[in-house]
Amino acid sequence: MSNPAALAALFSLILPGAGQIRSGHRSRGLIILVITLIIVGLVLWLNLSPASWLGLAVAWAANVWDAWLIAGGQRPKTALLALALALPIYVIGWQVTNIDLVRFFTSANRAAPVVRGLLRPDFFAREIDYGIAGNDFYLPCPAPADAESSAAPNGATVTISQNCGLPGETVQLTGQGFDPNQTLQLWWTNPVGAESRVRIFGEFEPFQVDENGGFQTEITVPNQRYEADNPRAHSLELRYIASQSSYQVTENARLVASRIGETIAQALMATFVGALLAMPFSLFGARNLMAGNPALKVLYYISRTVMNVLRSVEPLIMAIVFVVWVGLGPFAGVLALTMHTIAALGKLYSESIESIDVGPIEAIRATGANQFQIIAYGVLPQVIPPWIAFTVFRWDINVRMSTIIGFVGGGGIGFLLAQWIRLSEYRAAGAAIWAIAVVVIILDLISARVRERLI
Amino acid sequence: MLEVINVSKVYDDGTRALNNVSFTVEDGEFLVLIGLSGSGKSTMLRCINRLIDPTEGRILYNGQDITNADPRELRQIRRQIGMVFQHFNLVKRSSVLRNVLSGRLGYTNTLSSVLGLWSAEDKQKAMENLRLVGIENKANNRADELSGGQQQRVGIARAMMQEPTLMLADEPVASLDPALADSVMRYFEKLNQERGTSVICSLHVLGLARRYATRIIALKAGEVVYNGDPDLIDDVRFREIYGDEAVEHSLR
Ligand SMILES: Nc1ncnc2c1ncn2[C@@H]1O[C@H](COP(=O)(O)OP(=O)(O)OP(=O)(O)O)[C@@H](O)[C@H]1O
Ligand SMILES: [Mg+2]
Repeated sequence: MSNPAALAALFSLILPGAGQIRSGHRSRGLIILVITLIIVGLVLWLNLSPASWLGLAVAWAANVWDAWLIAGGQRPKTALLALALALPIYVIGWQVTNIDLVRFFTSANRAAPVVRGLLRPDFFAREIDYGIAGNDFYLPCPAPADAESSAAPNGATVTISQNCGLPGETVQLTGQGFDPNQTLQLWWTNPVGAESRVRIFGEFEPFQVDENGGFQTEITVPNQRYEADNPRAHSLELRYIASQSSYQVTENARLVASRIGETIAQALMATFVGALLAMPFSLFGARNLMAGNPALKVLYYISRTVMNVLRSVEPLIMAIVFVVWVGLGPFAGVLALTMHTIAALGKLYSESIESIDVGPIEAIRATGANQFQIIAYGVLPQVIPPWIAFTVFRWDINVRMSTIIGFVGGGGIGFLLAQWIRLSEYRAAGAAIWAIAVVVIILDLISARVRERLI
Repeated sequence: MLEVINVSKVYDDGTRALNNVSFTVEDGEFLVLIGLSGSGKSTMLRCINRLIDPTEGRILYNGQDITNADPRELRQIRRQIGMVFQHFNLVKRSSVLRNVLSGRLGYTNTLSSVLGLWSAEDKQKAMENLRLVGIENKANNRADELSGGQQQRVGIARAMMQEPTLMLADEPVASLDPALADSVMRYFEKLNQERGTSVICSLHVLGLARRYATRIIALKAGEVVYNGDPDLIDDVRFREIYGDEAVEHSLR
């Protein structure tokens, strides 16, 4: 074969990058080879779908095309080659992370209860007393069905078009003498005593009495178990609101409030203790204070290392360790947050010591001030305001973190929230989420104000 | 009287910033140090109140040996010597008043000053000094809210709190524009003429030096190359001090 471009393309077709290497572009060829090998390895190892083979084919083809361009003396299209090589990686990433856009849209309705919980958080509720008007209903019919009327309290009457039947049959229900516009709910109680709401026109929603105090509605006999030769009495009840209290704070709202308080206190304790312990660390970790003496240098490196290691461990992981160590509850969370706070604040504190302006210190020394006076007038005014600002900001961060730490048993609001989510109590969970959001926003505003004033 | 006797300074990196410098300053003199950048002016001034320890030589102030003073004596000597800096060296976050009061630290009890308990007398003195430099209405502002010229006046007020008998000023007007420079220099002149305070001031503008100095000392590579009357610096001397390429720019 005499055409060098075609030959290079052939080389690269057999072994990606080979054509490029042959044309003298060694590093380019090697990079292509390594990337292609990684992709092939991933595709084989993870046993992925054909889509990733397609991606691989595109990358392979781009490599051949690149070899052809280079050997033919044309300008290689590096950006396009890079895109083609990245394509299979994206395809693999897509599959590995189980991205499923179809499910994302088709299952959107499953999020509805959660969203509903968020929209109707369980903060306030009123206590409702129900009045009851009941009819017996036999499943199946012991004798030919009959219409039956029964008296409800306050002189109202309810008439049912048949007093027995089978599941799925439609029954007419009419009523008179109710309070105009009253809301009614329909409940079914089976012989065992289990209660359930009855669908009205396919809906569980309560229905309304018209302005004359009457109603007419159609219900479907619910799917209750029955024995054909043994008719039993179920009961169909109309419940209406006889009286209701004004809105009151719910038990869950009280729980949320106390746990939010716990979370804030947790963050406060962790920030306070952490800030105190961060101070010595920051002094030892400040380069400008520790210069000179080799012993001080050693201290400097020790404290820097401790801070770096502590900071690299996520508080969530520390919380898991401390939950095992001291048991479930807020104390474990405080410990985890404190550890993280020491490291984070220690670093910030020592940075503000390092960035101290020596000019004023020199000027104050020149006035004949002693060491204590120099610290009080030259050093502290330079480091205290940023320290306060950092500390308040840390508190703000710690509140956020402590909500999360509750999820692994570290106490506070997160603990409750995790439980409620697991129990599908989305209205209670909604209340907790709202409370967290409000507290975080308020703290954020406060800490922003403080920082603005101090820095 | 300040006596500088054979002072040399070698920095840790081996730079010889001062080489066998000797001069005396009589009470009431207005001495200006001139010289190229790096000639050792700042080093000289800092050796006088021992912000830097000279490597060799002695410095006596009113007969007292500064170079061998123990920390307590040193603080007592320092409080008689005010110092003003090119970059003002104020504590930016502190109020103007607190900056000025800090000039009094050498005279106050440690505990009460650390707690910020200043006597009415000291506060009054601070306000007086601020009035003298024309910024008493800024007493409660943060120092960094002031303009450069105002900050330097705070620096002067701080030094005046020491009721110094000697005032050191290291390029006090180098970061100010020329018009402001003149007005700031006049505070030193006033201090010198009305209170008899000796002044040692480094300047890099020869015009200003001629206008305010009663005597000029020129440093070159850490050595004294001129010590005498300001008016006797002619072109030849000027080239000696600043190098052959230099051309004199005077103010105005
Ligand atoms: N801390 C230091 N360590 C090492 N060398 C220094 C130090 N401070 C100053 N020097 C050197 O000493 C020499 C004299 O410096 P000095 O600051 O006294 O000069 P200067 O006359 O004040 O100059 P300028 O007009 O630029 O302020 C210079 O060569 C300088 O680089
Ligand atoms: Mg200097």
